[in-house]
Amino acid sequence: MMDKLKRVQPPVFPVENVIIPEAKALHLSNGIPVFMIEAGTEDIMRIEFTFRAGQVKEPLPLVASTCNMMLSEGSHKHTSEELNRLLDFYGIFLNQYAEKDNAGITLFCLSKHIEKVLEFSHEILFSPAFPEAELEALMKKRLRWYLVNREKVQNLAIDNFFESIFGKLHPYGYQINEHDFEKINPAILTDFHSRYYSAVNMAVIISGKIHPRTEELLNSFYGTGSIAAREAENNSIEIRSADQKKIHVSKSGAVQTAIRIGSKTINKRHPDYPGLKVLDSVLGGYFGSRLMKNIREEKGYTYGISSSLSSLDQSGYKIISTEVGQKYYQQTIDEIYKEIRILQNTAVPEDEIKVVRNYMSGEIVRMFDGPFALAESFKSVWEFGLDNNYYNSLVKKIKTIEADEITALAKTYYNLNDLYEVTVGSE
Amino acid sequence: MIDYKRFTLENGLRVLVHEDKSTPLIAMNLLYNVGSRDEDPSRTGLAHLFEHLMFGGSVNIPDYDTPLQLVGGENNAFTNNDITNYYLTIPSENIETGFWLESDRMLELDFSQKNLNTQKRVVTEEFNQRYLNQPYGDALLKIRPLAYKVHPYRWPTIGMDMDHVKNVDLEHVKAFFFSHYAPNNAILALTGNINYDLAYSLAEKWFGPIGSRSLQKRNLPVEPEQTEERILTVEKDVPSDSLYKVWHIGERLSADFYTLDLITDLLAGGESGRLYTKLVRERKLFSEINAYMTADIDPGLIFVQGKLMKGVDISHANTAVNEVINSLLDKKGIDEEIEKVRNKFESSTVFSNTSILNKAANLCFFELLGNADMINHEAEAYGKVSYDMITQAIDKYFKPSNCSTLNYLSTRKEK
Repeated sequence: MMDKLKRVQPPVFPVENVIIPEAKALHLSNGIPVFMIEAGTEDIMRIEFTFRAGQVKEPLPLVASTCNMMLSEGSHKHTSEELNRLLDFYGIFLNQYAEKDNAGITLFCLSKHIEKVLEFSHEILFSPAFPEAELEALMKKRLRWYLVNREKVQNLAIDNFFESIFGKLHPYGYQINEHDFEKINPAILTDFHSRYYSAVNMAVIISGKIHPRTEELLNSFYGTGSIAAREAENNSIEIRSADQKKIHVSKSGAVQTAIRIGSKTINKRHPDYPGLKVLDSVLGGYFGSRLMKNIREEKGYTYGISSSLSSLDQSGYKIISTEVGQKYYQQTIDEIYKEIRILQNTAVPEDEIKVVRNYMSGEIVRMFDGPFALAESFKSVWEFGLDNNYYNSLVKKIKTIEADEITALAKTYYNLNDLYEVTVGSE
Repeated sequence: MIDYKRFTLENGLRVLVHEDKSTPLIAMNLLYNVGSRDEDPSRTGLAHLFEHLMFGGSVNIPDYDTPLQLVGGENNAFTNNDITNYYLTIPSENIETGFWLESDRMLELDFSQKNLNTQKRVVTEEFNQRYLNQPYGDALLKIRPLAYKVHPYRWPTIGMDMDHVKNVDLEHVKAFFFSHYAPNNAILALTGNINYDLAYSLAEKWFGPIGSRSLQKRNLPVEPEQTEERILTVEKDVPSDSLYKVWHIGERLSADFYTLDLITDLLAGGESGRLYTKLVRERKLFSEINAYMTADIDPGLIFVQGKLMKGVDISHANTAVNEVINSLLDKKGIDEEIEKVRNKFESSTVFSNTSILNKAANLCFFELLGNADMINHEAEAYGKVSYDMITQAIDKYFKPSNCSTLNYLSTRKEK
């Protein structure tokens, strides 16, 4: 019993500010911007090629993602099978992505293979063949994946949420349907590729133990040739949120109901964003958040509930997400609104603010730990035209925000009448 | 190469320390040598439920998470068939808080009835979310009891029946704690911005006073050798047919482990794996297919699972999978493929070692297997696998009498 009594909590030291390294910026001979971040202890590199070639640019649903996926499905030099075998042979990991705003590829390799990586990546990015047979097979596979995904309440919920807040016409919002898979052909992809996968639309982000020949090799593979591109299509569609705020999608047999509550909101470029990040943490941004404590740890309605705040080029959104037992879903929704009202009307206690401050400071340390995290953190401000000043103001806000500011932000940004409520379940 | 030092406290707690000054963080991994295989068949799911209870407060600390968040830390845990593993990362200046928290819950939990009631509901929702509310979610619940008839691997970690979880009472929880959670049944690893001396003095200070405990003796039934092919067919309202196949393999430390690991990589390591190339790309029988091996300590399984394309007959797909496996017996071109998967293995190992959390978890697991130094010799073991070893392993393991197949069929007309 003596043991149990003498255990005193160790002192709590404030989490020290991280020193955020500046990326080294340079341009290739033809002007392509490159950012390099030297970091880590292992001889590995992460190389990302990013383009303004996301869904916002697509003339039809599925074009941006299909164009990106087809990059590795055969080039003018190699078949898809040969390309994949070569990448695997050199132990290179290739990650392809097409998001709402951007698309590109990220490669992970041992530093000694940098030359091969730059050779293959150039072939993948700039000589895709878009072979018809491969495209047909891919679309058939994607349709199967889509059909499975649409069986899941969480996917139905997020698709309907985006459609509600961004509108049925905007690429941020529209939902895919089965017929969209029939409309993609090589000509559409070739056209999209020539407009958006161009050097003028591109940036290179490199981190890790950077091989000394990297800059020279980049110039030899990527630095020659014009960076002119075909003109981008002007498909500026306005974001128009739906009039109807509550949507229920019926999914027979579902034992849990998926809930998504939120709305579009400011993005990283807005001065209130760092404060809103803190508010989001208090509400549902970490394990000790109010939603997690109430809905999971107090009531046991769910395995997990969270809130998050995301930035897009033309907008941003906040969202509360959970899957709850079917019989608890109305109580859960009521509790979510109750927690928001409390934040609007009652000051967050000083003890809780301190926990959030320190937890978030630890998160900042983790965001800049190691070559992969550093590259991702760099990119997530660079793509908004921002720099490390964003992180400096976030760190400052975490350390100095007071209860009254959190209350004011909750009133401004969490107006209950503005929130969309999407539920998908068996009822 | 991961340099580490190792010591054992008087109470039996084994500690491993790996210093990496390139990070401001420390990872702390605490492995308990208890998993779902240690459960009573009438009370399955207890080890995993217990993991949830470990966050509900300990004898001197009413709430685990808040003090950790207060020092900028983050944590999580998982339970599998063999182990329960708790881990956290923390800015190095506050590492002592990690020791205080972890040692207090090893000392004694706050056995609260209210927390038990809540976590039973949370685990039931976890079960619903993972297994019942996803298409094909229950496939793994069906294939385990097909492959295992007596060994506890026949039930999933979350429990074979949620009634088992609902029926757990505080007495079961207490008995489970004192017979499994003990310094002499745990391994601690610290990696990152921490040196050996600090790790040693903090381990002595916080874990040293906890006495060793008498543990429940492990005496698991041995799974008898399977002698004939097992096939189960189910029909459900899912979008397409799906095929699951498993074969019994040896224990984690058996000589064939890395040979089988390499075989699964030849079959499904990346997009150039044979299953994907032949059955998805060329023959278009599957929309996706994967193969992997469980890393269970007792004799485990190799899995092949795939979703069929529209209109493909499942027995045809099944035959095609067997053909691809048998194609590895053909020597033509295989050396280059072996070199390819070796290179990929080498590169994955280096990538995995960039994470202090991975290093800490791996050190603990290999120490449990009997030799933490295996962390530095996996690529070597993998590199020794030859064509002959591959053909012998295929003959030995991939025979129909060692296989269980689950045909998961769609009831929809338009498949």
